[in-house]
Amino acid sequence: MDNRATQNTELGKFIPRPSRPPVVTSHGLVGWLRKNFFNGFWNTMLTVTVFTLLYLLIRPFIDWALVNAVWSASDRRECLAINSGGACWAAVIHWFNNLIYGRYPDELQWRVNLGLSFGLLWILPLNLKRVTSKLQIGAAGVILYPILASYIFLGGERSNIHYLLACTGLAYLLIVYIDTLLLYLGSKKSSQVIELLLEPFLGEKADQVGFSLFLGGLAVLGAIVFQGIELEHVPTESWGGLFITLIISGFSIVMALPIGIFLALGRRSTMPVLKWFSIATIELVRSVPMITVLFMSVTMMPLFFPNTMDLNKLAQVIIAVCIFSGAYMAETVRGGLQTITRGQFDAAKSIGLGYWQTMFLIILPQALRTMIPNIVTSFISLFKDTTLVSIIGLFDIMLMARNISIDKKWFGLHSEPLVAISFLFFIFCYGMSQYSQNLEKKLSKN
Amino acid sequence: MVAPQNELNASTRKLKNLIYDSSFRSWFIQIFVVVVTAGIAYFLFSNIATNLRQMELPFGFSFIGSTAGFDVSWSLIPYDPSMSYGRVYLVGIVNTLVLSVLIIIFSTLLGVVVGVLRLSKNAMVAQFARWYVEIFRNIPLLVQIIFWFIVVFSNLPGPRQSYAFLDLFILNNRGFYFPFPAFQPEFIWTAIAAFPAILAIVLLQRRSNVYRKKTGKRLPYYHALLAITVIMVMGVFIVSGSPLSWVIPTLQGFNYKGGGFVPTALVAAFTAMTIYRSASIGETVRAGIQAIDKGQLEAATAIGFPPLKTLRLIIIPQAARAILPPLINLWLTIVKESSLAVAIGFPELVSVFMQTSLNQTGRAIEIVIMVMGFYMCASLTISFFLNQYNKRIQMQEG
Repeated sequence: MDNRATQNTELGKFIPRPSRPPVVTSHGLVGWLRKNFFNGFWNTMLTVTVFTLLYLLIRPFIDWALVNAVWSASDRRECLAINSGGACWAAVIHWFNNLIYGRYPDELQWRVNLGLSFGLLWILPLNLKRVTSKLQIGAAGVILYPILASYIFLGGERSNIHYLLACTGLAYLLIVYIDTLLLYLGSKKSSQVIELLLEPFLGEKADQVGFSLFLGGLAVLGAIVFQGIELEHVPTESWGGLFITLIISGFSIVMALPIGIFLALGRRSTMPVLKWFSIATIELVRSVPMITVLFMSVTMMPLFFPNTMDLNKLAQVIIAVCIFSGAYMAETVRGGLQTITRGQFDAAKSIGLGYWQTMFLIILPQALRTMIPNIVTSFISLFKDTTLVSIIGLFDIMLMARNISIDKKWFGLHSEPLVAISFLFFIFCYGMSQYSQNLEKKLSKN
Repeated sequence: MVAPQNELNASTRKLKNLIYDSSFRSWFIQIFVVVVTAGIAYFLFSNIATNLRQMELPFGFSFIGSTAGFDVSWSLIPYDPSMSYGRVYLVGIVNTLVLSVLIIIFSTLLGVVVGVLRLSKNAMVAQFARWYVEIFRNIPLLVQIIFWFIVVFSNLPGPRQSYAFLDLFILNNRGFYFPFPAFQPEFIWTAIAAFPAILAIVLLQRRSNVYRKKTGKRLPYYHALLAITVIMVMGVFIVSGSPLSWVIPTLQGFNYKGGGFVPTALVAAFTAMTIYRSASIGETVRAGIQAIDKGQLEAATAIGFPPLKTLRLIIIPQAARAILPPLINLWLTIVKESSLAVAIGFPELVSVFMQTSLNQTGRAIEIVIMVMGFYMCASLTISFFLNQYNKRIQMQEG
C-alpha cells in the first residue's frame, strides 16, 4: 500500500517506518482504569454503583471505629460523655490482658509467654532449610513440648517424673539450637562430636548412646539448676482468653495428625475389622455437629469414668476436639494418599520394604507434602471452631469478650469487643490462608 | 550366612514362620483390636452402669413420655409445656430443619451471585466480591451470629417504631412478621385438582423431551397444553370460592398480631449463617466456573448460540458437575452448623433437647444418643439422595 520507504532506499532494502505510539486510552494508568473500571456504559455504571455502596458502608464504620473513637476512659459513662457516636476502645484496651490470658493471675502471665515462646522456638528450626532430621524434632516436640508447657502453665506440686521430663524437653530444645548453630557455622552436629569421642569405648552404638547421654546429662543438669524454683499453681479453671484458644486448637491439630493418619490407613487397610472400625469412627464423628461432641464431652464423659476420678473440663474438651478434628484429618490424609500412584507401592514392595516402612518412608512423606495446604486450611477452620467452647462455659477469647458487657464499669458494651476479636481472628486466619496459598503455589511449581 | 539358620531348632523356625505369615499377622492384629476395643468398652460400660445405679437413673427411653413442663420460645408445630419430652424432641428437629433449609436456599442463591461477581471483568466488582468472601470467611461463625443478634437485631426499634416494608413485612426487636396464607377447608378441592395436574405436567415434559430427541422439535401444542392444565387448577380454585387469603400482621396494642412470625434469634442466626456460608459457596461456584474450558464458550459463540442459551445449555451443566459435590458437602455442613443457634437461644434441637431437657432430666446418654442419631440420619439421608442426583448428572458425560 505504502512503499515509499522501499523506493527511497538505494538498495531497495526494506526499512519499516517507526510504529505509531498506542492510543492514550489503551495503556498506562488511563488505559488500565478504562479496561478495568470504565469499559463501556454498563461497566461504568457498575463501578459507580459499587463505589457508592462501598462508600456508604465503609464511611460510617471508619467514622465510628477511628474518627470518633474514644481510646482512653475509665468507664463507659465517660466514653459516652466524650463522644457518644464513636467506638469505646478504652474498654477493649482495659480488658486486653484478660482477652489474651483470661483470668490467669497478672503477675504470673510471663509464664504463659514463656511457654508459648518455647513452642514457637520449637517450630522455628522446622522452617529452616538446612536443618536435617526435621521429623525427629517434630516428633520430639509432639511428645515433649506438651509436658514442658503444661509444667510451666500449671505450676504447683508436680510429680518428679513430670519435672524430669519437662527438663528433658528443655534440654532437647537446647540441643536442637546448639546443632542448628553448629550447622550454620559449618561444623559437625554436637551428637556427632560426642560420637567421635565415645567411639573407642562403645563402637557402633556410640551414635545413639552418645546422644542419649548428652540429652540425659543436660536434663539432669537442668533439673538441678531449676530445683530451687517453685512455680505457683494456676488451676486450668483460671486459664482463658486467646491463650486457651491457642492451646485447644494447637494441641488438637497436632494430635489430629497422628489420629488422622491411623484412621486413614485403617480405612484403606485390607483387614475388614480395622477397615470397618475406621470407617465407622470417621463417618460417625463427621456426621454430627461439633457442638454436640462438646456437649457429650461435658455431660456424658463423666459417666464413663469411676466417679472417684477427678475430671478436668479442659482435658475433656481437648479430648473431644482431638477426636473430632482427627476424623476430619483422616479424610484429608486419605485425599493425600489417593494422589500416590500404585507404582510407588509396587516399587517399595520390590525393594523389600514392609508395610510400615513403605508407609512411613515412601508413601506418607509424599502424601503429606501434597496435603500441607489442606492441613493448614483445616487448622484455620479448627481455630475458628474453637470459639464453640465458650458455649459450654470455657473462658476462651469469645466468652471473655462477652464478659466485658457484664462488667459493672462497661455494662452493656457489646459491639466493640466483638469487633476487636473479629479483627484479631481475621488477621490470624487471613494470614494463615495466604500462607497456605503460597505453599500451594510453591508445591505445584516443584 | 546360611549357617545360623540351620542352627535354629524346629520350634523357633515354626514361630518365625508364623510371625512372618501375613494372613496370620492380619488375623492376630484384628483379634487384638477387637479384644482391646471390647476391653475398653467393657470398662466404660461397667463404669456407666455403676454411675447410673448410684444416681438412680436406670438407662431407658421412658422419660420421653413424661411431661416436659418448660416452654419453648418459638415452635413451628403446636407446643405447650404440658406436652412430653418426645414432643420437645420433635419441636427441636422441626426448628433445626426450618433454619437449615432457609439458610441452604438463601446462601446458595447469594453464593452463586458472589461467585459470579468474583469473576467479573470489572475490577471494582471483582475486588468487592473478593473482600466480601475474605472478611466473612475468616471471622468465626459464632462471633458473627452473636454480633448480628446482639449488636444488630436486638438494637432494632420496638414494635411501635418498627421498620415496615409495604406494611406487609415488619421488622423490629422482637422478630420478623410477614403475611401468611390462611387456608379455608374448601382449599382441599384445589389441592386435589393440583395433584393430577402436576402429574400431567411431568408426563408432558417427559413426552416432549423424548419427542424432541427424535425430531429436534418441541411437541406440538406443548405450551398450550401446559397452560390448559394450569388454568384448570385455577378454575377449580375460583369455582370453590377462592378459599385462600393472606393474613397480614397488624399492630394491636403493644405488639403485632396475625400472620407469620419468626423471632429475632432466628433472623440473626439465619442472617449470620447465610452470609458466612455464601462466602464459601461463592468460592465453590467460582472454582466450578473457572474449571470450564474457555474453548466451550468460544465454540458456543462460533456456532451462533445466543448468550442466555449458552449459559443455560453449555456453561451451567458443566459447571454444575464441578460444583455439586462440594456444594452437597457445604449443605451438610449447614445442617450441622445450624446447631450454633444454641448460642443465642434459638430453640433448635441442641438448645431444647441437649441443654434444657438434659439439665432437667439428667439423662445424658439417652439424650446424646437421640440428638446425634438425628444428625447422623439427616446427614446420611441428604448425602444419599444428593449423591444419587450427582451420579445422574455425572453420567450424562458419555
